[in-house]
Amino acid sequence: MSTKQQVKLIITVSVLVGLISNLVRSDAISWVAEPIKVVKNVNDVLLTLSEPEIREIDLGMAKSLHKKGLLFVDARAEEYLSDGMIPDAIANDDVGLLSEQIEYLIGYEKGFVIYCSDDDCGSSEELAYELQDFGYMNIFVFKGGWKSWTNAGLEIEIHD
Amino acid sequence: MIKLHPWLIVLIRILLGIIFIYASYDKILDPGKFARDIANYHIIPMGFENLIALIIPWLELFIGIGLVAGLMVDGASMISGGLMALFILFIFQATLRGFNIECGCGLKEGEMVGWNKILENLVFLGASYLVWHRQQKLFELFPKTPLSD
Repeated sequence: MSTKQQVKLIITVSVLVGLISNLVRSDAISWVAEPIKVVKNVNDVLLTLSEPEIREIDLGMAKSLHKKGLLFVDARAEEYLSDGMIPDAIANDDVGLLSEQIEYLIGYEKGFVIYCSDDDCGSSEELAYELQDFGYMNIFVFKGGWKSWTNAGLEIEIHD
Repeated sequence: MIKLHPWLIVLIRILLGIIFIYASYDKILDPGKFARDIANYHIIPMGFENLIALIIPWLELFIGIGLVAGLMVDGASMISGGLMALFILFIFQATLRGFNIECGCGLKEGEMVGWNKILENLVFLGASYLVWHRQQKLFELFPKTPLSD
C-alpha cells in the first residue's frame, strides 16, 4: 500500500467516523457554525426566556445594561484582573464557584453579561457556554470587552 | 543529517502517537468547545469550524493509533507532519495578530497561543519528519512490504 493510499484511507475513515459520530451523539453540533445573535434592544434583554440563549451585545448596550444594574462577569484570567474590572463585576477562575456566586446574586433566569479582554479573546464566549451548561438561561457576551470599555474612558474599579 | 538509532525512531513514533491520542480525547468528547477554539483564530470562513472540529480529532486519534501500533506509519506520519504545519501556521498568525486566545491544542486545559506553542509544535513536526524519513521499519504491523511508490 503506497503512502498516498494510506493518507487517503486515514482521511476518509476520519471524515466518515467524524460525521457519523455527530449524527448519533446526544450533544451533536450543527454542521456549520451559526453566528451568535446580536441584541440591539434593551427590552429584549429583560425578557424571560423559555429556551436558554447566548447573545451578543456591543459597547453601547453594555453601558445601558450596566446602568440598569445587570451583573457583569469578568472572564479574563486572574493575572489580568489587577489592571481593573468593570465596576461591580465578579470573577472567579473556578467556574463551579462562579456559578454558585451568580446563582446567589441573581438566580438562573435573570440575564447577565460576560466580557473578556477584547474582540478576539474568546474566553467570554467559552465561559458563556460553560455557564449555560450549569442552567443559566439568559447570557450576554460583551463583544469588545475590557478594551472597548477602557478605550471609551468608562469607569473602572481596581481591587488590591 | 543526524542519524538516529532505529529503535530511538520507534520510541519517538510511539510517543508521538500517544500525544496524538491524548490530544484527540477531549476534542472528541466536546467538539463544540473545539469548534469555538478554532473560531477564535478568526481564520476559517463561513462557519466551517464545526465540520473541522468534527473531523480533526478523529484524524488525530487514527494517526495516533497508527503510530503507536505500527499501522500505516508512512501515511500517519505524513498526515501528522501536515497537521503540525497547519497548527503552526494557525498559532503563528494568531500570535502575530496579538490574540489572547486558548490554543485548543488538547494537551493541557487553558493553554494560550504564543511562541512556546509554536516551538512545541515545531518539535512535533520534526518528530513526524524523523518517523516519515526512517530507514528501517521496525515494529510495524501493516503494511509489511516495502513501499511501492
